[in-house]
Amino acid sequence: MRTMTACLTVFISASFVSANDVPAPITEHGFKKQAVPMFEMYCADCHQGDAAEGGFDLDQYAEGSQIQTEFETWEKVLRVVTERQMPPKDADQPSEVELQELRAILQAELATFDCEANARPGRVTLRRLNRAEYNNTVRDLLGVDYRPADEFPSDDVGNGFDNIGDVLVIPPLLMEKYLAAAEQIVERTFANEELKQKILVHKAEGEGEELLEAVRKNIDGFASRAFRRPATDEELTRLLALMVNAYQQGAEPEEAFKLGMQAVLASPHFIFRVELDPTEEDADGIRELNGYEIASRLSYFLWSSMPDEELFSLAKSGELTHPTTIQDQVRRMLADPKSKALTENFAGQWLQLRNLTQISPNPEQFPSFNADLRAAMRMETELFFESILHENRSILDFLTADFSHVNETLAKHYGLEGIKGNEFRRVSLNTDRRGVLTQASILLITSNPTRTSPVKRGKWILDNILGEPPPPPPEGVEDLVEAEQALGSLRERMEEHRENESCAVCHRKMDTLGFGLENFDVIGSWRNTDGKFAIDASGTLPGAISFKTPVELMELLAERKSQEFSRCLTEKMLTYALGRGLESYDRCAVNVILAELQEKGYRFRGLIEAIAISEPFLKREGKGKP
Amino acid sequence: MTLKQPQLTRRNMLRGMGVSLALPWMESLSSASSLTRLSSQPDAPPLRMGFVFVPNGVHLQDWTPKTEGFGFELPYILEPLQAVKDDLLVLSGLTHDKGRANGDGAGDHARSASVFLTGAQPRKTAGSNIRSGISVDQAAAQAVGRATKFASIELGCERGRGAGNCDSGYSCAYSSNIAWAGESTPVGKETNPRAVFERLFGGDSPAQVEKGYARRQAMKKSVLDFITEDTRRLQKQLGGNDQQKLEEYLNGVREIERRLESNDKIAASNGEFEYNGPDGEPKDYREHLRLMADMMVLAFQSDTTRIATYMFANAGSNRNYRNIEVPDGHHDLSHHGGNAEKLAKIRKINRFHVEQLAYLLGRLKSIREGESTLLDNSMIVYGSGLSDGNRHNNENLPVLMAGSGRGSITTGRHLRFPEETPMCNLFMSMLDRMGAPVDFIGDSTGKLHGLEV
Repeated sequence: MRTMTACLTVFISASFVSANDVPAPITEHGFKKQAVPMFEMYCADCHQGDAAEGGFDLDQYAEGSQIQTEFETWEKVLRVVTERQMPPKDADQPSEVELQELRAILQAELATFDCEANARPGRVTLRRLNRAEYNNTVRDLLGVDYRPADEFPSDDVGNGFDNIGDVLVIPPLLMEKYLAAAEQIVERTFANEELKQKILVHKAEGEGEELLEAVRKNIDGFASRAFRRPATDEELTRLLALMVNAYQQGAEPEEAFKLGMQAVLASPHFIFRVELDPTEEDADGIRELNGYEIASRLSYFLWSSMPDEELFSLAKSGELTHPTTIQDQVRRMLADPKSKALTENFAGQWLQLRNLTQISPNPEQFPSFNADLRAAMRMETELFFESILHENRSILDFLTADFSHVNETLAKHYGLEGIKGNEFRRVSLNTDRRGVLTQASILLITSNPTRTSPVKRGKWILDNILGEPPPPPPEGVEDLVEAEQALGSLRERMEEHRENESCAVCHRKMDTLGFGLENFDVIGSWRNTDGKFAIDASGTLPGAISFKTPVELMELLAERKSQEFSRCLTEKMLTYALGRGLESYDRCAVNVILAELQEKGYRFRGLIEAIAISEPFLKREGKGKP
Repeated sequence: MTLKQPQLTRRNMLRGMGVSLALPWMESLSSASSLTRLSSQPDAPPLRMGFVFVPNGVHLQDWTPKTEGFGFELPYILEPLQAVKDDLLVLSGLTHDKGRANGDGAGDHARSASVFLTGAQPRKTAGSNIRSGISVDQAAAQAVGRATKFASIELGCERGRGAGNCDSGYSCAYSSNIAWAGESTPVGKETNPRAVFERLFGGDSPAQVEKGYARRQAMKKSVLDFITEDTRRLQKQLGGNDQQKLEEYLNGVREIERRLESNDKIAASNGEFEYNGPDGEPKDYREHLRLMADMMVLAFQSDTTRIATYMFANAGSNRNYRNIEVPDGHHDLSHHGGNAEKLAKIRKINRFHVEQLAYLLGRLKSIREGESTLLDNSMIVYGSGLSDGNRHNNENLPVLMAGSGRGSITTGRHLRFPEETPMCNLFMSMLDRMGAPVDFIGDSTGKLHGLEV
């Protein structure tokens, strides 16, 4: 490392420092010859060696950017450098000319990322059904009104969602619950004559072979739906053996059949969403998913449940592998009431509405808050999400829509007049609010029980709207975050973040966004003062763009940050659709989806359809891929 | 399932319990000799091991006794433990080095839970390839858990978070679990006392046992055989991380098979059980904490398991404590910045938690097992994976141990260990006593000396 530093120092003095008025043209080896020396001069003090800040160690890039694997790193470098978030204010700054040169080099470097060379659909780890999926699948498989998974332990969340294969583990407790649930589900189905007859479709007149044949057909019908693909002969033979054995040991025929159903419901083929690996015959170790696998990908994406008859029949005929068929199905599926699952599970997690139940504002400070208001807050955002989905609106409406849905409780909370009763209805908003970020649900989940937290709100916007999650604070400074209460208005206190340059890098943006929402208190009511201090919601974002009110901030985001927002939402939804965290190579797929989204005028359904025909959604790579 | 039970208060249920719980070991056979250290007599009451986790560190000044050895005075936070003071060890100076960043940056809260019983550096990942290490309770469960119906139980009062990130790029799995069956398998916890009860004691009634019991057992077994065969076939077709998932699944199947095999005697011992169990998750947090403590006591008392973990709350929990007039979020408060008002509230929360521990220990102490008490035959460790919630440090952790481990631990003292003594050394010493010795766990460097005089 030292040797390299020394070499570079010589190199810099020889060729670089004499920056003149125009950016140097980018040469073929622009990164190594032009960018590396600049990093060495302005960045290496902090970003080199084992203790490199933020884990960004320039030693790793002395010979090249390694763009194929380090794309995200360089995207971030480009952002923080061009926004002059880095180098920190108290360090030497590159000139504007140098900055332009660096930006051009990095953009050129990013453009060299070869999507063709690295076409990788990724590999989703074997996923078990999560609680919502289990309940819905049982509902659609048997029609039985029973939610066994409500008793299962919580599913852990990874990459922001609870359907991520790697994180969905099976502790012994859960296995126990699966077996108990299998028994209960079958009992409840057979307790209902109508549901039972839907399973026992084939009847035998006589006994012996004929009876066995009917049993085989019945269990085939059930297993082939439960496994979400045709049951194999081998599986049916083993199931039949299981049932015959029980019968021979003295079980009634019906009891024996129920046992077969239990085995199906406890089988890994029901519990997991199995997708087989590519074989040696598949080129490049990548295989195209078959119709049944696609049917399940679609149904668990849009319904959090198993495929229906139409999907199964298109899978069987092979039509479901055609993109146009898939898009038709997406439209059909979104129109089905089962697409409510997308609101509950995708929106519930993207917007973190599920966390609402865990937050209790201090009742002494916020006496108007109660369970009804909490429920109304959630309902508002869910209805809002659904209106954008079902009316196929622009996704930018999430930021700037001038309408929302309220009932009397929420209308009062927002100071809207003339709304009576519990029923929700669409209303035009007054000049205080626009879009989802000004809805009480989001404002509440980003607050502490006793006070607002501009940091949490700002971070929330960066995480969930702009897709620029700030790095965690450096070690040992957490106690500065949100410091003393007695020193002035919250805003004055927070100025501390900006005085300390290592904090200011991120907090300048984070706090500015958060303070832009300070007109909303902990529970999202409008306010003009915080205690004795007047609210100042104005701010200036990187790039010298200023705003004065929350609504101006929202308009600004929609206008200047539409690309960032589209990418963020795309990445979140793709993560959810695939059930795995995105990797560097996924940006190719994301770019394709984004292009289609743009072509369709940012319509929400355009996004969903584009995801449904994207490479990672329709293909699978083997474990051998590097 | 009999979910529609008449409402029962905790008090009623406990009263009912004392008289009707069939003890699995014979009271009449045990004697003073059962107090003999690490008795190998088969009739002696077994040794139990429990771990209680509290989030966000504590206010150490009001936690650490001023003097060491015997005869220390209980500081403000520990005052509720007066009645069990002689059954306690206050352990100062223990460290979880692997809870520190060690190059991984922020995320102390997530680490504080995942490291608490593992002593392993969690891999920083939001989703793919979660990794920690086996936890002390699971190490014990895997070695000696076969003796009971359940190898271990995992309890908590907060479900995992339903959305978002839990802490600075760490998967929520790290924040909401302390038990890890292997390096990538957190063991989920049960938060509903009713469900715990059903699981522990909801076995077959004597009448059911009579009727076609053997056949029903055989049928259950045949289902397990079927799904095991399914899994084996799948294992041949899948690779990579899928194998891990199938292994988790198979482990679950094996655990149930084992339980099925030992079910005859379990069913017999459940025969006299009259108590209906709790109703679901109570709204009141104190009640919830105590009900869960009751479940742990019951499980130990009935020898349904000998190993338990209990998370009072998840790491970084920001719940409010309005019931003790602290309306602020706990995590928010823990970043007190030295503010006296906030510290006063932190202290209150810390003490509230200790009050619930006192309840648990009091219950264990109230149950006689021959000449000793259930508490005597236990080792209950209580603590946090962070020392001070403001500084987020991992040395000098607040740790208590209660129960004399069947006379193998000299309680009633405050011990101070040399700086940087691994917490895992305590685990080594505990595993020895459980009859589950290991060469190392987490970052242990040896055993903890001085637990007995």
